[in-house]
Amino acid sequence: MSMDRKEAIKRTALIMGGIVFAPSALGVLKGCTARPGVDWNPQFFNTDQARLITDLSDIIIPDTDTPGAAAAGVPAFIEEMVSTAYDEDAQNQFLSGLDAFNSLAREAHGNDYADLDPEVQYQFADDQNRAAVGGEHLDEEGTAFFLQMKELTLMGYFTSEVGAKETLRYEKVPGRYEGCIPFEEVGKTWAT
Amino acid sequence: MKFSEIFPMNLNLKAKKKNTYDAIVVGTGISGGWAAKELTENGLNTLVLDRGRNVRHPSDYPTATMEPWDLPRNNRITPEDEEKYHIQNRTGWVNEATKHWWAVDTDQPYIEKNRFDWIRGYHVGGRSLMWGRQSYRLSQMDFEANAREGIAIDWPIRYEDIEPWYDYVEEFAGISGQPEGLAHLPDSKFLPAMELNCVEQHSREKIAEHFNGRLMTIGRVANLTQPHSGRGACQFRNKCNRGCPYGAYFSSNSSTLPAAERTGNMTLRPNSIVNKVIYDEELGRATGIEVIDAETLDVVEYYARIIFLNASAINSTLIMLNSRSNRFPDGLGNDSGELGHNIMDHHYRVGASGAIEGFEDRYYWGRRPNGFYIARFANIGNDRRDYLRGFGYQGSASREGWWRGVRELSIGAELKEFVQTPGQWTMGMTGFGEVLPDHRNHMYLDFDQTDKFGQPLIVFDCEFRENELNMREDMKNDAAEMLEAAGFKDVTTYDQETGMGLGIHEMGTARMGRDPQTSVLNEWNQVHACKNVFVTDGACMTSSACQNPSLTYMALTARAANYAVEELNKQNI
Repeated sequence: MSMDRKEAIKRTALIMGGIVFAPSALGVLKGCTARPGVDWNPQFFNTDQARLITDLSDIIIPDTDTPGAAAAGVPAFIEEMVSTAYDEDAQNQFLSGLDAFNSLAREAHGNDYADLDPEVQYQFADDQNRAAVGGEHLDEEGTAFFLQMKELTLMGYFTSEVGAKETLRYEKVPGRYEGCIPFEEVGKTWAT
Repeated sequence: MKFSEIFPMNLNLKAKKKNTYDAIVVGTGISGGWAAKELTENGLNTLVLDRGRNVRHPSDYPTATMEPWDLPRNNRITPEDEEKYHIQNRTGWVNEATKHWWAVDTDQPYIEKNRFDWIRGYHVGGRSLMWGRQSYRLSQMDFEANAREGIAIDWPIRYEDIEPWYDYVEEFAGISGQPEGLAHLPDSKFLPAMELNCVEQHSREKIAEHFNGRLMTIGRVANLTQPHSGRGACQFRNKCNRGCPYGAYFSSNSSTLPAAERTGNMTLRPNSIVNKVIYDEELGRATGIEVIDAETLDVVEYYARIIFLNASAINSTLIMLNSRSNRFPDGLGNDSGELGHNIMDHHYRVGASGAIEGFEDRYYWGRRPNGFYIARFANIGNDRRDYLRGFGYQGSASREGWWRGVRELSIGAELKEFVQTPGQWTMGMTGFGEVLPDHRNHMYLDFDQTDKFGQPLIVFDCEFRENELNMREDMKNDAAEMLEAAGFKDVTTYDQETGMGLGIHEMGTARMGRDPQTSVLNEWNQVHACKNVFVTDGACMTSSACQNPSLTYMALTARAANYAVEELNKQNI
């Protein structure tokens, strides 16, 4: 996330009288509606947790030629998943994973993850990802928080209209089935 | 409350007349819909009952056109709903898009002496809205198997008895598939087949090359590949189990019930839980049924000359076991003591999967609501095994999607670009194995415990036994063997513990047979000792074969209904 956007969010928050996370409208401009809750007013996560989730999801899937995770409403999706699909144990596990991640960032860089420069955020997340894919940082349930966060981010993003239609290929009504065609005729991975 | 308790005699007669029909059909799933269609088209004034709410095609499919982003929690149910559907969700298939189709377990309890996964849909259309639509004929081999091997009892019919009725129901329902000319998996009257994809086609060829007599074909499926019987063609959205707005797969709601309605002879009464069949000791026949209104809990009686029980194998059996009289102290038609026994299903969730190199420049268009089928080969010809019967496989091949990014070393723009190209081709398959009829596998009623509607609770006491467990070893290993022969790498096998019932093909609890001493139904699905009651759902099955059974229920129902009309016209019943 760019510093400009952080500023924009802070300003929005002031206007709304609360902490609201409103990422760029890039997806909307391209004709796709973001997930409900892209103007996100966290209910389950506290402000620090919400900032961390917003930044981290956007580091995992950033804005490029298509919108990134935050613009697609992924942070609100993650809150919805954790607060309404997880039972209490799973919620606590996720929250302590989130805390542990932030503590590691503070140990390494002396600041909360959400307050680090984007380049540092990327580098730290990349290290965490490599460790998690390599099997390190497992909690007692054997779930690496980072992979859980990564899965939630990808899931939320690629089942959003922005992620499905702009970054991948999605046809609401395919109309026919062809079982063996040149890849170029589709061009991208099917979202579903 | 009975009408006789609240009405004086003349009013009672009037009410009785108002509640009298030519025929009553109990249940509106796959078989009940067919009974309704055939009886009404033959001019019978027919009362059609379902225990659940009405579901009209296509206006009552609330999620049919929802997109992934319209569904909360990426389609996952809440922990509270997991409790509400704790048995239904043993399938793993209860989600936000379909949860309104599944029976609420906390409302509809039963007792598991052994694990039994009783998976149900309580609404008009029943499981015909939710089914997998795989449609295969049984063969002569299947109808002869019990007699040949001395298992249980012989079927009272042979393939030639049902063959014209397969033709008949297929022409209306619309089954797409590829003719293959196998004697033990007879071809249907097919609509054009869906395509196998590149890797499936490759596998079909390699399997045929390496294993003499093993055939992979496209699934035979009740999805329309062209407009048919006034219904639209499949649009390859793969959202069938939400209800299809195009009517492109066979369900009672889209197909048989509208046909019955068009005759003007059908009275559909939803929210009607049939509790008992009323048996008249003097007349020696059934005169009607007792209904519990699911909304008011009022008890109402309806009368008819013939009654078709199509409430599903387990619920039709419940109704019969609960219909006790002096003549039938152990349940209607239960002279043999077999009512509730010989529960069968198909055992599955055992097989293998793997990945294959190549085909990277190939992909597919559309979400095919179907996969491949590998016809049974075990214990056919020279392929002899140390157990009886056999199994078929269902599966599909596809390219890995975005989820492969989770365990990738990259994040950020690099990851985003990476998942825009699909991954390698993978293919998996699961066996569907035949279950032998066994008297020990049974259900009965606990009359001391009732549900909120006042019905006795069902107790299940059944399990997979030696023949099924031995077969599972081969179901696992043969799948791996075929994948390896077709060039797949990293082949892994699996064998998940399942309860009986999870195949959602429960059957056999009121079996057909020639001898009233050993069976409940005769060769026309009539209760041996109460000829105006017909049972044509899964309860009637004398053996299970390994094919998905719904098509056979359709054919047996159409056959029995047309026989019932003939018998009525001859005044034999």
